[in-house]
Amino acid sequence: MISLDRASLRYGPILGLSPTTFELPDGGGITGLLGPNGAGKSSLLQLLSGLLPPSGGEVRIFGEAPFRNPAVLARLGLVPEGDRLPTGLRADRWLRMMGELAGLSGEALRAATAQALETVGMADRAHLTFARMSKGMRQRIRLAQALMHGPELLILDEPFNGLDPEARLNLMALLRDLAGQGTRILVSSHILGEIAQLTDRILLLFRGRLLAEGSVTEIRQLLDRHPVELRLTGEAQALARWAVEQPELAALRMEEGSIVISVRSPRDILPRLQKAAAQGGIPLRALDPLDLNLDAVFQYLTKDHA
Amino acid sequence: MPIYAPTLPPAPDLSLGQPPALVLMRFDFARLWRQKIGRFFGFAFLFLLLWKVARIYIDFLLQTNQTFKPMQQWANAILTQGAAFQADLLNPASYLLWFLVALVGGGLVARDTLYRVRPLMYAHPVAPKDYLLAKLGFASALPFGILLPFALLPWAMSLVLAGAHGPVWVTAPLRLLPAMAISSLLMGSLAVGASSMAATPRAGIGWVLGLVLGAGTLASMIHGLTGLKAIDGLNPVMLAEAWPQLLVGVDKPLVAWVPALLGTAFHIGLWTWVAARRTRPSEAVI
Repeated sequence: MISLDRASLRYGPILGLSPTTFELPDGGGITGLLGPNGAGKSSLLQLLSGLLPPSGGEVRIFGEAPFRNPAVLARLGLVPEGDRLPTGLRADRWLRMMGELAGLSGEALRAATAQALETVGMADRAHLTFARMSKGMRQRIRLAQALMHGPELLILDEPFNGLDPEARLNLMALLRDLAGQGTRILVSSHILGEIAQLTDRILLLFRGRLLAEGSVTEIRQLLDRHPVELRLTGEAQALARWAVEQPELAALRMEEGSIVISVRSPRDILPRLQKAAAQGGIPLRALDPLDLNLDAVFQYLTKDHA
Repeated sequence: MPIYAPTLPPAPDLSLGQPPALVLMRFDFARLWRQKIGRFFGFAFLFLLLWKVARIYIDFLLQTNQTFKPMQQWANAILTQGAAFQADLLNPASYLLWFLVALVGGGLVARDTLYRVRPLMYAHPVAPKDYLLAKLGFASALPFGILLPFALLPWAMSLVLAGAHGPVWVTAPLRLLPAMAISSLLMGSLAVGASSMAATPRAGIGWVLGLVLGAGTLASMIHGLTGLKAIDGLNPVMLAEAWPQLLVGVDKPLVAWVPALLGTAFHIGLWTWVAARRTRPSEAVI
């Protein structure tokens, strides 16, 4: 469905995306595009959604180049970042126009509008103006406009930004439903947790380079090859005595009222730590993972690449 | 029992829609129609139109009713049938029309910039030329639509009341309609070009007014300093008023033919180019 062959994007002298190669297969499913701000996620999405041509290499969607290609654009839906929409405008009028731009008209347009609103759960609130809608409602309308023409590929750029937890969960459930119905979804985010909750497949971008591609588990396993830092708070001496007996221990640092241990395989040591604390074997009051986050993953991956 | 991969429902038929430029123009028109500004200007221009039509009717009464016989000489003086009278039909408070074009046209592209709508549009089968055509078309159709009754209604009334001897020439629409088209395109391109440089609709209004008044002031200053009348061809307001005069053959038009042609081509070309540059997909990135 999506195929990039050394596709790159330049903004004048600035390299937005280094030559990147990957493929996404046909059929439904969610792929997460993960990376910090400035990683090149939006650049990649601009290439995929046909807004910009690649500066080098080749981008193919459904076997064709997407840039200014109506045959491709008619088969994909885009939800750009942000929630800004003309405030005084009614959502249903806005959707009707976007549907017409996609090539719908008459009864097909009415049916597609109703179906999209039903899908995003906004059927009874589409008559409201955007000014009277919450951020989550506006995001749903933006999703509805991308769904109206029945796209096979749905591209969402940071769709969870600014949403409250409930709206976030609702949107995730909605995306899972769509993926289950056969839509291929590409969703970008800079938050590992969001993507991990949502998807089975990740593309990891950093400084315009595709660093890793694979499942969430595979990406997380990259951590296991590096010592993971955990802060154990409690009686430091007793905690240190317990820690030095563990075979996974790589390093130990004493702090006031706590210790920081570096372990090679947190998956193995954590159950033992939990068991020992539950049985009163160690005086543990708190456990804080210090580098189980996206930044740490990026740091490890960039070290690996270096 | 075999498990099948999920399949998408059949996609709706996407081949029945109207051209994207037409869809966008209709949308902008509907938005204007719902706004109070449309009603205000509608009332203002209707009042002006009624005044023009009333003048034709008064002329008819003066010419045909014996009661008004003594006033005929006076009527002939004020209701001339010359070229200037024909050209004046298309100048219904020129600044009011420019103000309307600024208020409406100033936000046409800037609103889409502010709300980042263009990436969404370009992610549909909408080409940048469709977008530009829609905005230029709407911004030009607006003054054209307003001027249309000013050209046709007095002409029709004059024709019905007095036939070929009425105050409005029988052939007036043949000259006025092309003049309207040129003036409207000038107004539309300037408004869209200015709007494309603005980040908000209000800034767009400011850009349009600034360009119109600024170009006019600059031309007047140079004219005053050098005595070069041809420089008035840079003044968009004078150009819009000059085209009806040129095409109906007024003796001393505001701007002569060559400066009017050059000035109009300069403005339309420059502002269309600016709008085209500022509405490219690379300027509308997500």
